[in-house]
Amino acid sequence: MNDTNRFLNRALLFLIGVILIAIGAGMVAVIAWPAAADWWTTASASAQTWVDDAIRRTMIAGSTLSWGSVGSLTAIVLLIVLLIIAMARLGGGHTRSLVRTGGQDSPAGRLVIDTGFASDALRASLDERSEILSWRISVVNVRRVPMMHLSITPRQNTSPGEIADDVDHLLDNLAALTGAEIPSYLSIHTGLRSRLAHDQRRIA
Amino acid sequence: MSMSHAFRRVIRRETHSPRTGAMSIAVVLALLALIYIGTEVVLSLLSLPGLLISPTAAGDWLTALPDQQPVWAIIAIAVLCALIGIVFVVLALTPGRLPKHQILRTGRVVLVDNAVIAAALAQHLSDHTGIARERVTVGVSRSTVDVTLAPDAGIPVPDSRIRELITAQLDVYQMARPIKVRVRTTRQREGTLA
Repeated sequence: MNDTNRFLNRALLFLIGVILIAIGAGMVAVIAWPAAADWWTTASASAQTWVDDAIRRTMIAGSTLSWGSVGSLTAIVLLIVLLIIAMARLGGGHTRSLVRTGGQDSPAGRLVIDTGFASDALRASLDERSEILSWRISVVNVRRVPMMHLSITPRQNTSPGEIADDVDHLLDNLAALTGAEIPSYLSIHTGLRSRLAHDQRRIA
Repeated sequence: MSMSHAFRRVIRRETHSPRTGAMSIAVVLALLALIYIGTEVVLSLLSLPGLLISPTAAGDWLTALPDQQPVWAIIAIAVLCALIGIVFVVLALTPGRLPKHQILRTGRVVLVDNAVIAAALAQHLSDHTGIARERVTVGVSRSTVDVTLAPDAGIPVPDSRIRELITAQLDVYQMARPIKVRVRTTRQREGTLA
């Protein structure tokens, strides 16, 4: 679980998709449809004269540069930077603190419980269960609420109901230990490892 | 209630694909195109020869697009472009539901991969009917559980019994969505050695 902006993901996908469709469909139309070809030749030629004209009119005095070209280059660089920012913002939202209480106005001061604490507290119980192949704890801020994500990969053929009941119990104990009911999300996964670690004995 | 709001958000996010992979491919393609165009513009500003084509020459080429050769190659590139675009748009607009089911536990969100449920149901059937685990195939989708049995000769198991076992087990899991059970029995050919 992470805090990727999914709307941005889909919006970018949609936008780039529409641009690609427009380019592709436009090229086909211009090549295969005479009316479109005529329109394209005139429009493109006049666009070219307009661009040449704009570049000439915006010449920076005493240089060979023009504001037109500098401006378009700036726009391209800006777009590149925006796209790189969009890529860099993928994922994230993870935090280390599970519980945060009080603050400056609380006489008891602030109590912060780290993910590591929950992880250590659950380790003994989870590790001793042979039906649990692997597990992982992370904390993600969901709308400013720290949400503990416990991800479990059980051995194949293990009842998810039992796992959920067991973990439910463990989390109740953790809540009693920390004195705070931590909103939690449990995901039960299948994976290559769980299939390989089949619990059926086979006679080869 | 901000808590149930957070839970709802987790459920929605975790049962739908974030489309991160497709988005990355699309953005990398766009970046490559932009970096290339930017490079050509810079080279032309410095009055250096372009990498492939200078912006002015590219403009001329585009204007003469209807008469460019070879036509088949240009059409092929155009169609490829449009097809990739269609895939992106479809990915952007479809929900991209992940094969997971929510099971209900008070105060927590529990999501289970469909394959985990399927394997557990198959094991449960095998334990309670005596049919070998290898002869039970279970598929779990969003709205149905599909059970295919190939029972050994001499062990008749009525479909209603299978249905009962599955439904009871699903009640134990406490599935959040109602789910239909379909049972199919394939007859083993008699006298064959497995």
